[in-house]
Amino acid sequence: MADARPDTFSISVVRTGGFAGLRREWRVRSSDAPDVDWPALVEACPWDTVAPPSPVPDRFVWRIEADGARRRRRATLPDERLTGSWRELVDQVKSAAKP
Amino acid sequence: MVHGIVPPYLLARIAELDDERFARAARAARRALQYDEPRRAARLNFSLDASDSLVIELADGPNRTIFDARRSETLPGVIVRKENAEPTGDPAADEAYDGLGATFALYSEVYDRNSIDGVGLPLDATVHYGVDYDNAFWDGDRMVFGDGDGEIFGRFTASLSVIGHELAHGVTQYTAALEYEGQSGALNESVSDVFGALVEQYSLEQNVEKASWLIGAGLFTDAVEGEALRSLKAPGTAYNDDVLGTDPQPAHMRDYVETDDDNGGVHINSGIPNHAFYLVAAALGGNAWERAGLVWYDTVLSPLAPRSTFAQFAEATVRAAATRYGEASTEVDAVRAGWAGVGVEAAGANLDGGRTA
Repeated sequence: MADARPDTFSISVVRTGGFAGLRREWRVRSSDAPDVDWPALVEACPWDTVAPPSPVPDRFVWRIEADGARRRRRATLPDERLTGSWRELVDQVKSAAKP
Repeated sequence: MVHGIVPPYLLARIAELDDERFARAARAARRALQYDEPRRAARLNFSLDASDSLVIELADGPNRTIFDARRSETLPGVIVRKENAEPTGDPAADEAYDGLGATFALYSEVYDRNSIDGVGLPLDATVHYGVDYDNAFWDGDRMVFGDGDGEIFGRFTASLSVIGHELAHGVTQYTAALEYEGQSGALNESVSDVFGALVEQYSLEQNVEKASWLIGAGLFTDAVEGEALRSLKAPGTAYNDDVLGTDPQPAHMRDYVETDDDNGGVHINSGIPNHAFYLVAAALGGNAWERAGLVWYDTVLSPLAPRSTFAQFAEATVRAAATRYGEASTEVDAVRAGWAGVGVEAAGANLDGGRTA
């Protein structure tokens, strides 16, 4: 019988590049912020349709990983593609990861 | 001597002057107008010659437009300052305007290059991009500056070297077109750091010894332990902070960082060619924008492969120095020694002596 409980996630967002070349990382487990609908946020992102980055000088590069109990997803995208559902996911991770 | 910056409408008026006292200026203005699109601007230099006659010379001038994104991420934003307009009172917009002018001046006056593309491309910049946006970048058409988050970074227009860095990405795009990945990407970054530093040095009239050789001085808030983002003189020493960690830049090929992040570490490994430039400039002394800068400028304009390695770029600098100053010259020796000092062997070049394996 399939597990009916929603998937739990460990999500990491790593930002590299930018003029400063500084690496920033934010990590969150879905249990850290149980009020957030993490499965919906993760599912909304177009993981499979991510185009390879075409580097724009000094723009950030984002590496996003969502490890669920049932599935691992991973994407690398340039700053200019961090819009819509990607932006919502990253913003939630950044705010939930704050101490 | 009086410097006036002439907008296109005035250029048109000078072109129509029917007065033989100004025949030369009128001819130059007509040439400038025919030569280029209507947005071109020019600079008039007025002086008196030995017989007290007024001499008017027409020179290239910048055509700047500053936009304000008003904290959105939509480009270009609304126009807040055009060429020749009075300061806005907004530090970000006015720093961007002045920084574009200082950058234009270095390329025009030292390298005889008229703007980014060499034929008077208008210089556009957008300030106040995004909310707490910790970055500045060149998007292929314009420079874009964030305000910083106020905790780690202040506004990105505060450092002239940053503005020079971004515009140099534009020059590279129109010339060497170094691919922004791996070693060629680190060279692309390094060229921007080198000319960003030179814009600042030329503007402040600082020679090799006086210059800070820092990139992004003044961007960090007081909360950060660090004076800048990068140092060409001493890569790896620009900051050392509890939160940010230590400046990760190597100064030697043996410390080259292999990574998938940051397009293959383009902002990290640029420390190696950056330091090579510093060593060349320090060996030659005087003003870095003169001999060392000329060799690097010639190199960027030479037929470089878009995926050039450090060694290939080094070879191109040796060739550029030999073409300009001769094979047996102080400049060629300094360039060879500079690359040897960071552990890069110029590909195909005959590196004589002084280099250890």
